[in-house]
Parts: sequence; C-alpha cells; structure tokens
Amino acid sequence: MTTVLLVDDEKLVLRSLEKTLLRAGFEVLTAGDCLSGWETFRANADRIDIAILDLNMPGFDGLPQAEAGLGLLKKVADVRPNLPVIILTAYDEVGKAREAVEGGARAYFVKGREQGLVELIGQILNR
Amino acid sequence: MKAHQASGIERHAILLNAAARVSRSIASILDLNLLLNRTVDIICDEFKFYYAGVFLVDESGSWAVLAAGRGEPGRAMLAEGHKLHIGGNSMVGAAIANREARIALDVGAEAVHFKNPHLLRTRSEMALPLIAGDEVIGALTVQSELEAAFKEEDIAALQTMADQLAVAIANARLHRQNQTLLRQAERRARLLRAANTVGREATSILDIDRLLPRMVDIVVEAYGFYYAGVFLVDESGEWAVLRAGYGEAGKAMLAEGHKLQVGGNSMIGTCIRLGEARIALDVGEERVHFKNPHLPHTRSEMALPLIFGGKVLGAITIQSKEERAFSPDDITTLQTMADHLAVAVQNAYTLEALQAAHAELLRTKVYEALTVATTEAIHWIGNKAMPITMTIARLQEDLASGQPDLDSLKEDLALIAESAQTILEVKEQLIGQAREQKPRPVLLADVLQAAIRQSQVEAVESEIAANAAYVIADSTQLTRVLVNLLRNASEAGAKQITVRARTGSEKGSVRITVADNGAGMDAEILAKCWSPFYTTKPGRHGLGLPAALHVITQLQGQISIKSQAGKGTTVEILLPAANPLLGDLGKTPNILLIDDDDEWARFFLKTIRTAERADRPSEKADLILLDEFAEGFEPALKAIQKAGLLGKTIVVTAALDVDRLTRLLRLGVKDVKLKPYSPAEIPALWEK
Repeated sequence: MTTVLLVDDEKLVLRSLEKTLLRAGFEVLTAGDCLSGWETFRANADRIDIAILDLNMPGFDGLPQAEAGLGLLKKVADVRPNLPVIILTAYDEVGKAREAVEGGARAYFVKGREQGLVELIGQILNR
Repeated sequence: MKAHQASGIERHAILLNAAARVSRSIASILDLNLLLNRTVDIICDEFKFYYAGVFLVDESGSWAVLAAGRGEPGRAMLAEGHKLHIGGNSMVGAAIANREARIALDVGAEAVHFKNPHLLRTRSEMALPLIAGDEVIGALTVQSELEAAFKEEDIAALQTMADQLAVAIANARLHRQNQTLLRQAERRARLLRAANTVGREATSILDIDRLLPRMVDIVVEAYGFYYAGVFLVDESGEWAVLRAGYGEAGKAMLAEGHKLQVGGNSMIGTCIRLGEARIALDVGEERVHFKNPHLPHTRSEMALPLIFGGKVLGAITIQSKEERAFSPDDITTLQTMADHLAVAVQNAYTLEALQAAHAELLRTKVYEALTVATTEAIHWIGNKAMPITMTIARLQEDLASGQPDLDSLKEDLALIAESAQTILEVKEQLIGQAREQKPRPVLLADVLQAAIRQSQVEAVESEIAANAAYVIADSTQLTRVLVNLLRNASEAGAKQITVRARTGSEKGSVRITVADNGAGMDAEILAKCWSPFYTTKPGRHGLGLPAALHVITQLQGQISIKSQAGKGTTVEILLPAANPLLGDLGKTPNILLIDDDDEWARFFLKTIRTAERADRPSEKADLILLDEFAEGFEPALKAIQKAGLLGKTIVVTAALDVDRLTRLLRLGVKDVKLKPYSPAEIPALWEK
C-alpha cells in the first residue's frame, strides 16, 4: 500500500484531503505543523512513499512563518533525497513554484483541485 | 581803496594781513567746491578786488578749467565751461606753464591779455600759480578796476596766500578721496553683508518661488541698483524664463511671461549659452542689448550665469542707471552670490524631484497594499472554502454509489458547516467594526478586565494611571480591540503582557500600550500586519489588527505598532481622555450588585448609596445587577435561576454580543445592558 505523509495546518483542509486520499486507497499519515510533520516523517522515514507539504504553516518553533514548508522539505530531502514531494499552496505563483522545485520538490500543487491531486500522485509514483 | 591809497610798508602790511586772514578762513574748509567759492569771495572782500577766480588743471594737463569765479561774471563763465590753454597766450595759462606769477597793469596795453567780455572793467590783473608740493595744480587770478593796482613786491604776499590755497585744495582733494575710499569700504561691507544674507537664505529657503524674489530685493537694495531679475532655463533648454524681477518693472514682465531665447541675442541668452558673465557698460552702445521698454533708464547691465555642477541653470540680470556702474569688486561679490543662488536652485530642484519620487513611491505602496490585501483575501477565502468544494465532491460520489457511509456523510456535513461558520465569523469581524459606534466616557480598567476575561489570556499585568482612567470610546468596540491585541500577544508565545495607560504627550489624550515579550515580527511581516486577511497563524482571519485600526481611527485615535523578531511587540493606542458625566440620580432602588470587588463596582457603590455588593442573590433587592465578566458569573447566574430571581436581574456588560445577549434573554433575565461608566448613565438601568 502506498503511504502518504500529509502536513497542513488548516485542520479542515487536512481532514478533507486525508479523506480523499484514504478513499483513493492510500495509507495517510497526517501532521498539523512542521515539527510534528518532521517527527512523523522520522518515525516512518522508510515506509513513506510520497510527502505532501503545505507551504505556509507554523515553523519548527511552532510560531507562524512564511514558507515554513520549504524548511521541512529541505530536512526531508537531507534524509531521503529521492523521496517525491508535492508542495501544497493556495498561491498560484510561478516564483514560489520554481523555488519549491529547486529545493527538491517533485511538483507543486495549487489547492482547490483536489481530485487532481490523486491523479498527480499516481503520475509521480508510476513514472 | 586801502590797498590802493596806502603806500610803502603800511600797504605791504595790509596785504600780508589780508593774506593771513584769507589763509585762516580757508584752511579748515574740506569741501572742495565750498573752499573755492569761499576763497574767491574772501579774496575780493579782503583785498577789495573787482574779481577773483580759481582755475584747476584738468586730467589731460593741457587745460586750466575755471573751478570758481566771483559774482555774476564767475557764474556766467562757469556755465560756459570756461577754460584756458596751459602755455597759451592767457596770463593764467602762462602762470601755470612757467610756475610763476604774472602781473599785467593797465591791461589794455598788455599783449598777454585778451579782453574778456564778462570782465570789461578790468584794468589790472595778477595770475598766481597754485603749487602743491612740486605740482602746479592750477592758478588764481585776481583783477582790479584800477590801473596799476599791483606792484612787483605785492606778489610775494599774494603768492604766500596762493600757496596756502594750493595746500587747502590739496587737502580738500585728499579728503574727497578719503571720503570716496570710506564710501567704497562701507559699500563693500554692505555688499558682503548682502552676500552673506543671500548665502544664508539660499540654504534655508527651499521654495524657489519664495527664494528668488528675496534675492532680487537683496541685490537691488544692498547695491542700490536699478533692477535685478532671475531667469531659469525651462525644461526644453531653449528658453530662459523670468522667475523673479524687482519692483513694478519685474511685476509687469512676470505678468507678460517674459522669456529670452537661450543663445539668442540678449545678454541673458548669450550668458547662459556660454556659461560666462556678460557685462555691458553704457548699454545704449552695446550691440547685445535691446532696449527694454520696462527699464528705460538702464545704462549698465550685467548678466551672471547660475552654474551648478557644470550645468547652467539660468542667469541673473543686474542693471544700473549709471554708466560703468560695476566695479571689479561688484562683479566678484555678485558672482559669488550667483553661485550661492545656483546651489539653492539646484537644491530646490532636487527637493522637487524627491517629492515627486516620494509621491510615486506612495502610489506604489498604496497599490502594493491593496494588492496584498486583495491577494490575502483571495487566499483566505480560497483556503476556507476549499474543504466545502472537496467535501461536496465526496458527498456526490458517495450518494451516487447508492451505498453511502452515514458516518462519513455526517463528518463531511460537519466539515462544510465548520468552513461556512469560519467564513461567517469573518463577516462579523468585517462588518461589526462598521456598525455605528457610541462614544462615551469609558472606564478603561473595566473594559480591559472584560477583554482579559473574554480573551482568556493569562499573565496580563495592568497599570492604569489615575488621570488616564477614562477615555472616550465605544466600550464594545474597544473591548474587541483589546481582545484582538491580547490574543495576538498570547499567540505570539508571550509569557508576559503588560497593559499601561498614561496621559498622552498631546493634551487631552490617553496613551495605552500593550507590550508583550512574545516572538515579535520581522520587518516583512510588520509591513503587512495592517493588511486585511494577512495572517501567519493557522485558523485566524488576519482581521484583528485591521479591525483595531478601523475602530481606533473611528474614535479619533491613533494606533501604531513596534516589533522586533525574538524580542516582542508593543502596540500603542492614543485615545481622547474623558471625565465621567455627572447627573441627578433622584430616588434609587435597592440594588444587589453581584460582581468582583473591582474598580467599576467601587465606582457604582460609591455613587449609589442604596446598592450593596454580594456573591449570591437575595430576594430583598429591588434589582439584581450581574456583571457578565465577573469571576463567578456562571455560578451566580445558576444561583439566580435557582432562586427564581432572573426576572429582576439585569446583566451588565462592557461589551455587548448578540449571541450572548440572545442566550441570556432566552434564559429569562430581565435585560442585558451596557455598563454605565458615569453617574449620569446609571438611572437608565431601571428607567424604561
């Protein structure tokens, strides 16, 4: 079974995405900020197949921070350089997309088209 | 005639005496004209001569020009510009050329004498050279109606007098020279003062339209010139436009929009093109000058360039009614002034450019702020609404499958409800502030206490100065502001929050500071913190500070924020100070006040003698007041309900809230009312 790490600070978004992914047949590990996301990742580093990280959420100190997701991405990439990561954001912004991809993300996903997310995960993992 | 009648030694003595008297009289006269005129009169009076005149050698050294003459003949000859050739046939010319006195007796027979039509009765004449030092400076002529009026031995006596006269003339000339030097020194001092003033004002006046008129006034008045004007090159670089002009002429030319072509025939045009001073003395004959109908008396004109950093910004024109009006000194000091002026003009241009840049920056900032606000709003709404669309998609799938999982359906509906509720809360934050405010004197301590209870933020220390106890505010809105600020501080991880109120530095104001030792904000976040929908916190709207800004601004106050990442944040609010309103209380009911022993309770009990404080309800009271933000509100409410006393209970609150009000009224309390903060407001509690 494919295991997905999903980190987002918006409680409702997290739950809704989780339900969608569960329904698509994935195993879903969730976390609501960078720190717990990092802890969840370390505890399950070997079996996670793909990570989906929110761009803007509380940083490692638990305090609000712009683009904290990129920090988590960097730490994850240090441990597992080849792990596919999708960055989630509400901004449809080319600059941030490029930055995320340069930082090691496989793809960039703008929230609001969730059904597309399941397809995107499928494409990345079957490549 | 004594001189004629007497003879021998006696006659000689008379001449010497007269000569001495003349010498004494003229020795102290320093004004040259006065000296010469007095001399010819005194000589005629003392010696009883028919005529006396003084000639002075002119600059060329060729002519002896009449400088003073006795009586009507003298005046007539002066008017004619009477002069005699030195070394010519005249007695005066010969006396000067030969440096010795000449005598002509019975003049009609003398070859050297020419009959002078103004002095027809002359029968004897003597010409005495005026010698000062080694120089012959002129001659004195004395004439008598008598034949043989002079003897050779008279010459010595009269020559002594002539020598004295020569010394006096030399002194007077020296004095005149000194006077001129003195005047020049004074003028120079005045010009330096003017240059200094120009320099000072040029650095202090940044508005060209004020500076340039000052400059032309200073130049004209300090130098005594006829006119001065300043031209500045326009943006096209083709025209020098008059920007300031002295007096009526200047006013007229400014009204006409006077301008001259750069590089054209005018002195200004040439001066600007070449970047060099142009000076025209006796302007009438100067090719580059065109007669200006507004300045008909100009005889000298100077155009000085205004140069800054190698660029000619314009030129200043200076005009005089005198020919050759400008000394080298003038030109130097005026060019210095022009240089100062050029710096000032450049400064003013720079300031204009800066202001334009600032305005542009402001426009950009406003645009940026709007963009940020709009982007944040879109982002926020997108985020909040997203679970709705996602969940609906799932619901549709579930229902289409024909075998919906009820628990999943329930959860999806709950997700939709929660998302919708969050969006509705934002509506209240946005619209709540826009509701009409009812500013009144408000007890700050009470509002703060309500905010602390409502926000459930702990570790708040407050310190309110006695003279800052009341502010003019809407208590509901001010509570909302303080709740937002306390929550912000708490969410920033503050361990300590201090709220202080003091009188503000502006009279009649109270300064409230909310300082925390939380995470603080970096410059980037600080710059955006007033933007609606901008937030760094999960589950928040990003409307707290924008709402606070709106409320405080509506209350005629100010709000500002200082923050440092890692150190903490301080919000400062300025509000108008107030005093409680006094009023006639009339007869008051027996009131039981269920409240903490706090500032508002003390105010109330002090004002209403028929009121007492308690923790539990009592049937004896006509009216029970229960503070919504009192420590034991909920237990007290239950006790009142249990005792069946809700009908005589009024809940008083610092901040009205529709939901809470609805709940309390449904429960059965008599009313929910805003707390009175002034004696005048209290009777409204029980009056209908």
